[in-house]
Amino acid sequence: MNESSLMTNLAGIELANPVLLASGTAGYGLELDGLLDMSRLGGLILKSVTIEPWAGNAEPRIWETTGGMLNSIGLENIGVEALIEDVLPRISEIGVPLMASIAGDTVRAFARLASRLESTGALAAVEVNVSCPNVERGGIQFGVDPNATAAVTTSVRENCTMPVFVKLSAAASDLPGIADAASRAGASGLSLINTVPGMAIDPVSRSPRLGNVTGGLSGPAIKPIALKAVYDCFRATGLPIIGGGGIYDAGDVIEFLLAGATAVSIGTATFQDPARATKIVEELPDAVTAAGATTTAELVGRLRTPRNASKGKR
Amino acid sequence: MPSWRDHLQRLRVAEHGPALVRAVVARNERVAARVCVLDLRLEEDVPAPSAGQFFLVDCGGGREHLLRRPLSVMGYDPAPQPALIFLVEVVGWGTRRLCAMQPGEKVGLLGPLGRGFGAPAGRFSLLIAGGMGIAPLLFLSHELKSREQACDLIAGFRDSGQVFGGRQDIGSPNGVCTEDGSMGGRGKVCDGLAGRLSEFGYTSVFACGPGGMLEETARVCAAAGVPCQVSLDSRMACGLGMCRGCVKQGAGGANLCVCKDGPVFDSTQVFD
Repeated sequence: MNESSLMTNLAGIELANPVLLASGTAGYGLELDGLLDMSRLGGLILKSVTIEPWAGNAEPRIWETTGGMLNSIGLENIGVEALIEDVLPRISEIGVPLMASIAGDTVRAFARLASRLESTGALAAVEVNVSCPNVERGGIQFGVDPNATAAVTTSVRENCTMPVFVKLSAAASDLPGIADAASRAGASGLSLINTVPGMAIDPVSRSPRLGNVTGGLSGPAIKPIALKAVYDCFRATGLPIIGGGGIYDAGDVIEFLLAGATAVSIGTATFQDPARATKIVEELPDAVTAAGATTTAELVGRLRTPRNASKGKR
Repeated sequence: MPSWRDHLQRLRVAEHGPALVRAVVARNERVAARVCVLDLRLEEDVPAPSAGQFFLVDCGGGREHLLRRPLSVMGYDPAPQPALIFLVEVVGWGTRRLCAMQPGEKVGLLGPLGRGFGAPAGRFSLLIAGGMGIAPLLFLSHELKSREQACDLIAGFRDSGQVFGGRQDIGSPNGVCTEDGSMGGRGKVCDGLAGRLSEFGYTSVFACGPGGMLEETARVCAAAGVPCQVSLDSRMACGLGMCRGCVKQGAGGANLCVCKDGPVFDSTQVFD
């Protein structure tokens, strides 16, 4: 098995392999200088940016939980102009496809961000973050409402020609319905899933562990939720999906491909080991072989569902 | 055009960036009821840490406990084989695991991280430690003394279960107190600080410990006109400034990224 077995076409973007660094946990990429060979990645999704810099939420912002962690960063970021001026020229040198992640509290903000970022010519795609659980306005409120999701998607679609990936939350009561709304509004693909809303409490002081009281759960604990979200949305829309949520090794990547993801994103595992994503790339060919395939592409959506599978026989 | 890898290599050499390395537990000694001293022998070299810098330690939790624990360097020995010394108090899963490690076990490290203590103002420094805050201050005291700069180190602990009196190879505090009086004098380490500053004529203060202790120290130093550097503690994930998980609000509401811009700050950056 050679490296060409990992070649991935993600909504027209050619990736050397399907492994991306997820938005948020890899910052602007530059911070990982020297700790992993980023040229070995399939691509990099930058931390979400807004039009103006955002200061983020009150401390404490993180709390480790069994098999994962809670965060309530609150989209702290340097703002789109600083991203364009200070980050893009340097991070573009890696030579792998870069995706920007955009967030905002109005439909118009998303449109402006998409158009401004496309003008740099440095990006392969844009990820539309309508699923952050940690901001008062403009996060998950968009992503759990099919009309709002469609409105944001349409405005981004109309203001840039790059592929548009809409990042959704598994907290939506009808996720496949939201995914379908994004698809009809012109999304090129989906990114699944954002962190799952959650909280932790100190039983002695009776106070929440996070300054913002609630946060978003990530890490291996949410992998089953993420897999089902990918599985459901792939069946509902057939769109290319960037799947992620708790991926820790190459076996996890195969599971996401089988559920219907075309590419995957590595998030919280980067904290355990900054080089985890490239280790996964190295392990991936063997995992593909173990799954009885010769390429990652041929595993996408090829879950073997038992013939007698049914829901609630009576 | 040079490859990205060459580019990274240059950056790393130029900035002495952190490294991912493996270490072996050489010694793990219980020094108080809840505290141990962990001596690690590095299998690969790292840039020499300065006092106040820290490492993120992989406690071996795999998928169940993903986050590395930040530990300040208490001692560093570059030769014959580089070794790091850490002070660990059992607080949760990770620190319990570290305190239970046996010689020969392997540990993953990321570091050195953050910005350590800056040069002292004047000629006589007072180092004030609260709890495990003694670790970076013992390292600082060792550094200052090796440069023949005078300093005193005083340390306060909650109770005797936390008391660490130092070690021959890294030094020990000049005075110890506990909040419950179970060892040393009874009281808090910054009790009577204003009088101490004027009596001994300290020209610089360095402090590491709980938030309340740092705030009190900063307040007294500001009133006495003595420059003060404080080392902050925070929950953190990446250690590299990228996740923004450790950010605390400092003076004037500014965001302080503890892992990257700190953990050491001038006290005026932290407290209004």
